[in-house]
Amino acid sequence: MRLGIVRGHVTLCPAIAELAGKTLVMLEPVTMANLEARNGLGGGKALVAVDELGAAKGQMVAFTEGAEAANPYWPNRVPVDAYLSLIVDTVRTSRMKFEEEVAK
Amino acid sequence: MFLARIDGTVVPAAKHATLGGCRLLVAQRLEADGRLGAEPLLIVDWMGAAQGATVLVSTDGDIARERYGKTSPARMVVAGIVDSVHVPQAAGGRGA
Repeated sequence: MRLGIVRGHVTLCPAIAELAGKTLVMLEPVTMANLEARNGLGGGKALVAVDELGAAKGQMVAFTEGAEAANPYWPNRVPVDAYLSLIVDTVRTSRMKFEEEVAK
Repeated sequence: MFLARIDGTVVPAAKHATLGGCRLLVAQRLEADGRLGAEPLLIVDWMGAAQGATVLVSTDGDIARERYGKTSPARMVVAGIVDSVHVPQAAGGRGA
């Protein structure tokens, strides 16, 4: 899974039957530099993912890409290749922990 | 499959039902010359990889599907913890 920030939502009209009723979010993947800087920026190439968790704009999420993104719809076959599988509460890398220690 | 360096943890606010109780780690992909990839990756781990460890990541979702059920979106999984890497052409080589 990669990390991304929800930048907005996408609605389709019309849409193929397999995508009807699904929530689509616009995601901007986050680079390690932006994650550790906690600057709210992404830096990656934007993509659209299916969201069943109800992520809000600005929230950090993790998304699965590839064939596994369609697994939640098994045994139905859906043309989904990006699936929002987790909403992030907190992320901490070793450098962020180090900076927190220094700040104390 | 590729090598990655474990560099952090994530606490989820919400996650797909099949991922309940699974350990997720933040990692960065390792290039042949030892450089780290620009984007952080979230990897499922049940082998107990430690902070700073080099791991072998499999991007085949079948292994996660077997463990978390057919409807699980989990894909990247720690397939092994690297003991040592020997790359002769890289300057100085790089251990785990």
